[in-house]
Amino acid sequence: MSVDIMTIPKKPGETLFGFLMLALSLLLFWQSWKIAGFSSLSSAGVLPLAASGLMVISCVIALVDDFRRPSHDGEWHEFFQHVLPLTVALMIAVIFLFAIMLDTVGFIITAFLFLFGSIQLLHRRGIGKSLLIAAVALVLVYLVFRIIFVVVLPEGIIPEQDMLSAITAWLE
Amino acid sequence: MEALSYFASSWIHPELLALTALGTFLGIYVGAIPGLSVTMAVSILISFTFSWDVNNALCLMVGIYMGGVYGGSRTAILLNIPGAPSAIATALDGYPMAQRGEAGQAIGLSTVMSVIGGFVGIIVLAVAAPTVSEFAIKFQPRDYLMLGLLGILLVGSLSGESLSKGIFAGALGILIGTVGLDPMTAEERFTFGVVELWNGINPVAVMIGMFGIAEALNQLHHLDKTAVKQKVDKIIPSWKDIKKYLPLSLQSSSIGVVVGSLPGTGGDIAALMAYDQAKRSTRNPEVPFGKGAREGLIAPEAANNAAVGGAYIPMLTLGIPGDAVTAVFIGALFIHGLNPGPMLLTEKPEMFWFTVGNLTLANIFVLIFGLTGIKLFTKIVEMPKGILIPLIFLLSIVGAYAINNSIADIWWMLGFGVLGYFMKLYGYQVGPVILGVILSRLIDENWRRAIMSERGEIDSLFVNLFASPLSVTLFCIICLVFISQTPIWTRWLKPRLIRS
Amino acid sequence: MKKFLATTLAALSLIAGQANAAEYPTKDIQGVIMWGAGGSTDTVMRSVTPHVEKLLGADVIMTNKTGGVGAIATKYVFTRKADGYTLLMGAENPQMYKVLGLAPIDYSDMIPISILARGTPIMVASNDAPYNNMQELIDYVKANPGKVKAGSTGQGGMASIVMSMLQSQVKLDTTTIPYDGDGPALTALQGGAIDIMPAVLGAAIEHVKAGRMKVIGLIDVDANPLLPNVTPITETLPGLKSMLPWGPFFGVFVKAGTPANIVSKLSDAFNAGAQTDDFKALMAQRGYTVMGISGDTAKTFLESYRSVSSWLVYDAGFAKQSPDKFGIKRPQ
Repeated sequence: MSVDIMTIPKKPGETLFGFLMLALSLLLFWQSWKIAGFSSLSSAGVLPLAASGLMVISCVIALVDDFRRPSHDGEWHEFFQHVLPLTVALMIAVIFLFAIMLDTVGFIITAFLFLFGSIQLLHRRGIGKSLLIAAVALVLVYLVFRIIFVVVLPEGIIPEQDMLSAITAWLE
Repeated sequence: MEALSYFASSWIHPELLALTALGTFLGIYVGAIPGLSVTMAVSILISFTFSWDVNNALCLMVGIYMGGVYGGSRTAILLNIPGAPSAIATALDGYPMAQRGEAGQAIGLSTVMSVIGGFVGIIVLAVAAPTVSEFAIKFQPRDYLMLGLLGILLVGSLSGESLSKGIFAGALGILIGTVGLDPMTAEERFTFGVVELWNGINPVAVMIGMFGIAEALNQLHHLDKTAVKQKVDKIIPSWKDIKKYLPLSLQSSSIGVVVGSLPGTGGDIAALMAYDQAKRSTRNPEVPFGKGAREGLIAPEAANNAAVGGAYIPMLTLGIPGDAVTAVFIGALFIHGLNPGPMLLTEKPEMFWFTVGNLTLANIFVLIFGLTGIKLFTKIVEMPKGILIPLIFLLSIVGAYAINNSIADIWWMLGFGVLGYFMKLYGYQVGPVILGVILSRLIDENWRRAIMSERGEIDSLFVNLFASPLSVTLFCIICLVFISQTPIWTRWLKPRLIRS
Repeated sequence: MKKFLATTLAALSLIAGQANAAEYPTKDIQGVIMWGAGGSTDTVMRSVTPHVEKLLGADVIMTNKTGGVGAIATKYVFTRKADGYTLLMGAENPQMYKVLGLAPIDYSDMIPISILARGTPIMVASNDAPYNNMQELIDYVKANPGKVKAGSTGQGGMASIVMSMLQSQVKLDTTTIPYDGDGPALTALQGGAIDIMPAVLGAAIEHVKAGRMKVIGLIDVDANPLLPNVTPITETLPGLKSMLPWGPFFGVFVKAGTPANIVSKLSDAFNAGAQTDDFKALMAQRGYTVMGISGDTAKTFLESYRSVSSWLVYDAGFAKQSPDKFGIKRPQ
């Protein structure tokens, strides 16, 4: 039932990724070694050493396999077409921006900008529609997380907690 | 007779009935939303229900527990984001089903199988609790170690096309699981001097990233493709189907009860083991495992709900929690002035039958709520991708934050999301990574405890292992599973066995 | 639209901004619990807080921020404003951070709101163990070096300090096996994976009552009403008198610099909460001693705990720093 791996053509960048993973494995193996060396069978470093050693070995085997597989890669534009198209790269950048802004600017503003911007980018309909969807989704998420399950989201520049207390005080 | 009246008390008091229903309903959503955990919800409820009567509080919490374990399958099937670690195995085949337009059937099937699993757990709790709990606490560190190794052999089933890449992914997962202050010696492992890393990398953050974010990024390739039209007929599985899959669900449920009743393991490991067992024992699945096999959905769903009854077994009989949620229940009982412990059933025998009755009731509500509104949920999969993908990102980010109210978890989630995206594209499966993360601590701690118990002498570890029937049994199972995955078996033994 | 939003925001924040120390509390208070849900710290905090909320007239929203033996929660509270709206709800662990090199802060850098309760350490053993009191245990360990497996909760945890206390009086060769907490260790004791375990009375009492394990020692100077047949350890090892009574505790803390009237308001509320019948009954049942102390009494108590534990750990050889470095005096 399984396809023979040797017949699947490589994706652009696959060998490079394999080498990156090998470098990562070697780095982690060295770090594992630094925990306790081979001092005892029950030291904190035993499992990390075993796991990272296994990573190095399996990575080498996978690389050897990869070399024997039919190659497909050549041009860099293939990479940007099949592996990292513009939308993917852009969205990765946007979500990282989200995480950076979250703590300082606060959840409500960041999430709203994110939803509006990315729906506008990916869905490409009217601005009004994007605004509406973003607002409705945000209200729902806020209700579920902040109000019902009391997850205190970063408030940033909007004094949310003060406002909530002011509103409850006013309601009472 | 007395037992029956306690059993029925949550059924006949309208208030208790309503609270159980409410709890189950809320629980399904707690379970479904990644980052919100049943443990968290139940501990919030402890302070909330502080002044309530203990039975009222328990009904609400039991409902949340039962509903929550089931609810994890929802987002796993619809969005490929398991709501909780116990739904990881569900995503492996549930999400491909939804992508084929069978989200409704997947939810229907997982509901019915969860309920069957739940009942198996409750029945074992009702009839064999003392025996099972005495068996469960006998597990020694070496036995837990072997359970962990048995679990890690699953890498073989989860690897996809390349076994070496699967092993790489599994080992990476184990390594991720060891990050942080070593719980045994407080030594720092892979923390690079960062305090935020002391607590390690939360498995849920890795899970949301590698499943949710990686898949959402992957979906960006197919933005222009319209979503698959969902079939909404035959949502409730037919009797014929239920009968066909009953043996499998009973087998998975038994794994669930036993693994759930062990104080050191819970529903997440039970579900993965049941998945592996199903994959090995199913001769000819209609659809291959990993591509939307019904068996791959049934096994983990039956097992994780059976683990609920299992987790209650040591809790009610010995006051030892079977998992993180029952640990919070013990706290709740304590706050309400009961003495959770081995004396509980002597001092308050009504507690046992009340809980059994209440669990049964909650399980029925899972069936009712689980099977209503499925059509509405399948609409989520039909949403335009340009709207759905941003929503998945937002939910993943908020979910990752909610785990521990920490921005650092968001970073890990995103980092592993991007890594997972590339890994998937280059033929490394993400399933083994999560498997490794979940099992890492079990293997690490119990290996070291087992060695320490023998004062570092590995030969006496084996001598003692072969002196215990339980350990020998586990050892044999490991050997069998291992051999069944090696070329010796597939090329030489298996054809011969089948022929004879 | 924008202008409207801005004015509303300004108005709302003005209402809230009027909050000053005299009117404290004007908004929800955040309580950060340093241990996980269902643990003993969590349970104690969640059972006292509803009383406190009533007295303060404000909600206390509790979150569990676990990790680094509580250091992550401690550091978190330390980064917040000293305005009394972020409380650290913790156990004894931070008192060891400095010598164990876990964090540069401990409770001496914070203000104790209330030490709610403390626990008494005991030594439990599996039922079929051939020793029934501390003297017999000591004799047995001496006759069978390395045979007895002692459970532990990691270096710097309560069990390790109790073992160091014994080691400071008599050399014992036991095999130590660490667990994730006293709950899992007590389970292992019942399953036969370990033979003895120093545990807090509250965690073991129900198992003892049910006859699933036996108490062989009471790490205290006086007999305990819950354990009438167990003699205090000082009768076997009189040298321990200088270190006892000693034991884990639960307390609520704020960052140093919090205005005095806020501290006293919080202290009054938590101390009163600790004295409610509900709370007292709960604690008594589990073998915890209710304290409800604050101010200088609390500071003296905290300092004594820190000094005993730090020096024990240092003498046992698993401290990263000398207590001298932080001006921690050796117990008299």
